[in-house]
Amino acid sequence: MTIAVIMLTLAGLIFFFATTVGILRFPDFFSRMHAAGKGDTLSSLLMLLPLALYNFHEFDLANMLVALKVLLIAVFIFMASPTATHAILDAGYEAGIKPWTKKPEEESP
Amino acid sequence: MIWQLDFCVLTLIVICAFATIMVKDLLSAAIIFGAYSFLMCLLWTEMGAVDVAFTEASVGAGVSTVLFFAAVYQTTRRVGVRKSGRMLSKAFALVAALLTGLVLVIAEADFPGFGDIFTPASLHVSPYYITQTLHDTNVPNMVTSVLADYRGFDTMFETAVIFTAGLAVIAILRRFKKEDRCDLPEPYVISAGYPDTIIRFVARQLVPFIQLFALYVVAHGHHSPGGGFQGGVILGASFILLAISYDFKVVLGIMSERWNVLLGNIGVLIYAGIGFLCLLLGANFLDYSMLSKILPATDKIMARSHGMLGIEIGVAIAVMAIVISIYLNIVSHGKYDKGL
Amino acid sequence: MDSFFIGIGVALCFLILLTLHRAIQGPTAIDRIMGVNVIGTKTTILLVIIGSIYHRVDMFVDIALAYALLNFIVTIAASRYFHHRKNLTSSGYGFKFRSEEDK
Repeated sequence: MTIAVIMLTLAGLIFFFATTVGILRFPDFFSRMHAAGKGDTLSSLLMLLPLALYNFHEFDLANMLVALKVLLIAVFIFMASPTATHAILDAGYEAGIKPWTKKPEEESP
Repeated sequence: MIWQLDFCVLTLIVICAFATIMVKDLLSAAIIFGAYSFLMCLLWTEMGAVDVAFTEASVGAGVSTVLFFAAVYQTTRRVGVRKSGRMLSKAFALVAALLTGLVLVIAEADFPGFGDIFTPASLHVSPYYITQTLHDTNVPNMVTSVLADYRGFDTMFETAVIFTAGLAVIAILRRFKKEDRCDLPEPYVISAGYPDTIIRFVARQLVPFIQLFALYVVAHGHHSPGGGFQGGVILGASFILLAISYDFKVVLGIMSERWNVLLGNIGVLIYAGIGFLCLLLGANFLDYSMLSKILPATDKIMARSHGMLGIEIGVAIAVMAIVISIYLNIVSHGKYDKGL
Repeated sequence: MDSFFIGIGVALCFLILLTLHRAIQGPTAIDRIMGVNVIGTKTTILLVIIGSIYHRVDMFVDIALAYALLNFIVTIAASRYFHHRKNLTSSGYGFKFRSEEDK
C-alpha cells in the first residue's frame, strides 16, 4: 500500500513538473493552454488518488467516507478544469490573439 | 506548524504582494490578488486555523475577486498617472509607511512569544473553552461554539454590518431613471459575447450540487469547519455562476431586487428573533438554554446546540442575499439591464 | 511517511513559484488568468497533503472542495470579461464608439 502511494505521488509530481515547464517554455498562448489544461487535470487526478488510498490503514466507515470525499474532489476537478480551459481559450480567441507560426526560412543563396 | 512549508508559502505570498502593486494593469492586479488570497488561505490552513481558511477561501479568493472583475469591467483598466507632485506623494507615502512599521515593531517587542503557554489568554480563557465546550453545548467545533454561543452578540452585529454593506451599495449605485447623466454614449462592441453551450451545460449540471454542498456546510458547521458565513457565501457564489454562464436576467428572474433585500432582512431578523424569543421565555438575550421550554424533548444543553443551528441558518440566508445583491448592483452599474 | 509528504509539499511550492513567474510576466492578461488557474489547482492538492501530514484529512477535505469550486468560478468570471472588452493590455478601450464608425 505504501509503495503504491509513493509511486503514484511521484508520478503526479513528474506530470506537474512537465506542466510547469510547458507553461514557461511554449512560444504561444494557445500551446501554453494545451500544457496547462491537460497536464493540470491529469496531475491532479494522479495525486488525489494516493491521498485517498493513504487513509486505508484501517477499514472502517469514517475512513471510507473521507476517501470518498477526496475522490469527490477528483470528480469535480475532472468536470470543471476542462471547462475552465475552454473558457480561457474562448476568451483568448474572442480577444483576437493570433496563433504562433514558424517564420518561413529564407532561401539560401 | 510545518516550518518548511511555512517558509515557502510566506515567500510566495510576499512575491504575490509585490507583483500586485507593481503591475500597471488593473485587471491583472485583480487576478494576482486572487492568487494572493489563495495562498493566504493555504497559510491559515497550515497554521491549523481551518475556519478562518474556509472563510478566506470563499470570501477573499472567490466572491471578492469576482467583484473586483465586475468593478474593472465598469471602469477603466489603466492606472492614472499624476502630472505633477509625484515625488512628493511618494515621499509622503514612504514616510507614513515607515512610521507605522516602526510603531508596530516597537509594540511587538512587548508581545509574548509565538505559542507561549503562560500568557493570560492561554492560561485562563482558552482552557475554559477547550474543556467546557462539549460539556456546555454538545458541539465539538470550538470555533462555532465561541462564535455563535459564547460571543453571540458580536456575530449578530457582524450580520447587521453585512446587511448595511448591501444597503450602502444599493444607496450609492442604484439608478432608476431611464436617461442619466452618468451614461456614456452606447459603445459599438465587436461581438456581444455569444451563449456558450459547454459552459452553460456544465454550469447547469453543477449548480444544484454546489448549493447542496453549501447547505451541508451550514448544517455541518457544528462538527467540521464551516458555519453560516461560509455556507451563505458559497450559495451566493452559485448564483453568480448562473449569472456569468447564462444571462444576467436569468438570476434577476429568480432573485429579484425585492427578494434580495427582503431575504437580507429576514436573515438578520431570524438571528435577533431567536434572541428575543429567549428574552420572552425569561432568560437573558441570546441565552439559548431557555429554548428547551418550547422545543420538545430537549434538555438545556441540546437547546443551545439547536439555537446555534437556528442562528447559523439566519446568517446564511442574509449573507447569500446580500452577496447576490452586491454583485448584481456592481456588475450592471445600478441599471439592472445587462451584466458580465 | 511524514517527511515524504513534506518533501512533496516543498516541491509543489517550488512549482507554484515557477508558475507565478508566468502569472506575473505573461505579456497579456489572459496568460495571468491561466497562471492563477494552475496555482489554484496546485493549492487544492497542497491542502489535502497538509491534511495528510496532520493525520486529520477529514477536516481539510471540505476546504479543498470549496477551493476547487471557487477556482472554477473565478476563472470563468475572468474569461467572460474578454467577451465584452477586447483589449489584452491596458492601452485603449476594448470597444469602438459608434461616432467613430460613422466617420
